[in-house]
Amino acid sequence: MTADDLSYLTISEAAAGLRRKEFSPLELTQACLARIEAINGKLHSFITLTVELALRQAEQAEEELRSGNDRGPLHGIPIALKDLYMTKGIRTTCHSAVLEHWIPDHDATAVAKLQEAGTILLGKLGMHEFAFGGPSVDAPFPAVRNPWNTAHIPGGSSSGSGAALAAGLCYGALGSDTGGSIRTPSSHCGIVGIKPTYGRVSRRGVVPLSWSLDHAGPMARSVEDCAILLQAIAGYDPKDAASANVTVPDFRAGLKDGIKGLRVGVPRANWFNENKGTDPETEAVFDNALNTLESLGAVIVEIDGKPFSIARKANQTILVCEAYAYHEKTLQATPMKFGSSVRRRMLEGAFLSAADYITAQRVRSVLNEQIRANFSRVDVFASPSAPRPPEAFQGMDPNEQNLRPNFTNPFNLTGLPAISVPCGFTPGNLPAGLQIVAQPFEEATCFRVAYAYEQATEWHKRRPPI
Amino acid sequence: MAGELTLEDLSKMAARAGLKLAEDELQKLLPGVNRALRQAEELRQLIADGTEPASTFSALKVE
Repeated sequence: MTADDLSYLTISEAAAGLRRKEFSPLELTQACLARIEAINGKLHSFITLTVELALRQAEQAEEELRSGNDRGPLHGIPIALKDLYMTKGIRTTCHSAVLEHWIPDHDATAVAKLQEAGTILLGKLGMHEFAFGGPSVDAPFPAVRNPWNTAHIPGGSSSGSGAALAAGLCYGALGSDTGGSIRTPSSHCGIVGIKPTYGRVSRRGVVPLSWSLDHAGPMARSVEDCAILLQAIAGYDPKDAASANVTVPDFRAGLKDGIKGLRVGVPRANWFNENKGTDPETEAVFDNALNTLESLGAVIVEIDGKPFSIARKANQTILVCEAYAYHEKTLQATPMKFGSSVRRRMLEGAFLSAADYITAQRVRSVLNEQIRANFSRVDVFASPSAPRPPEAFQGMDPNEQNLRPNFTNPFNLTGLPAISVPCGFTPGNLPAGLQIVAQPFEEATCFRVAYAYEQATEWHKRRPPI
Repeated sequence: MAGELTLEDLSKMAARAGLKLAEDELQKLLPGVNRALRQAEELRQLIADGTEPASTFSALKVE
């Protein structure tokens, strides 16, 4: 096995190899660190490397596995964290000058759970500043670049997570998603990411952007790997006010059950053509993905996209109000410490009224009901994960995203679980993602559909030319 | 909302909100604020009188 092959193993393959003693946790860690050393300068996906910790954890995992103390499929697997997950004793910057030197005194709940599962922490990943705005061009750390073409954005806000996974720099990562920040970089980087149901994964210790829209979740190179990671971080946390006290099922149990007879709702009308519409190449890739789902036995049902289309406005209003409320003191005291993109977006919240915010939350109630009503006719929704391929940095228009349909926002607003799985490439050889959305706490259905699609295609096996 | 905000309106509102922003920063902020206000106004057309906000308080839940 070449060093590149080792770096591109999935978590499930690496876990099996560790137990067959084909390689050790230390060798996996060293392979990642060597690749980071060689490539990170082109991608800027890591802000902080935790080399000594990683090597120490690798040695510990090796010893534990040798002595039969097996903590499960993540034991000895090197991972990385979006730099808004608090890590005890390790700098957590949110990619911002505001927190450039901040060292938290406790771990986020999800981080603690990954540690208990025996993972190895390689470091903290770049992102859009405070998970908002666009690529951070005037932050203290460079903007993350797309491994498929470094002249293009990797999507955000979990940009480092998407880029690092696509480039084979880690085996799994955590992202966060307030309006699409797991699914968009997953789509743009050709990897898998799931935004779980609101309340499924604790947000404690994840620096907030918008309390009522924030979701923590995993990103990886395969559907099964995402299921493994979600299994480790899901569960009730009394220290998170939004945490749901619901049973966590075995997310891998039904992976291979197939999708025969599954009704897939496509909210195309009144949504896909909103404003400038969906990029035709992206829509063609999506339609091919629907054909594959159909060939696997799914039934495609066209549904009205109007409520999905409206969701963006409510999502954005709630988001800027909550983000401004969280950052108000810093924006009053030292506004220029924020990068221009995130500063201007957050400041919009200062000029909206309490009634504007509550109106958006009332619209959220209405749309939640309208969107969920579709589940009487269909089992899941499907859409492209992003309306167009990743833009080039040069000439990027920050307003462009408001002129295209936003396929991810509605599921932050409704809290429904949504996964992005690679579904092809546009003619510019840039990846595209298929989004599958299920009913609340039905992440297993997202995984089952995405897995069936993934196994019927080869997209997830491609590697970027970095 | 009656019409769009002007730079002068925005400047006064910023001061009242305790924000110290230079004029060129306010200028750059203005289109986004007006878009956000237009959007908030559009949302008002979508709700019926009895609709409650999605955020709720639970007397049982204590952190």
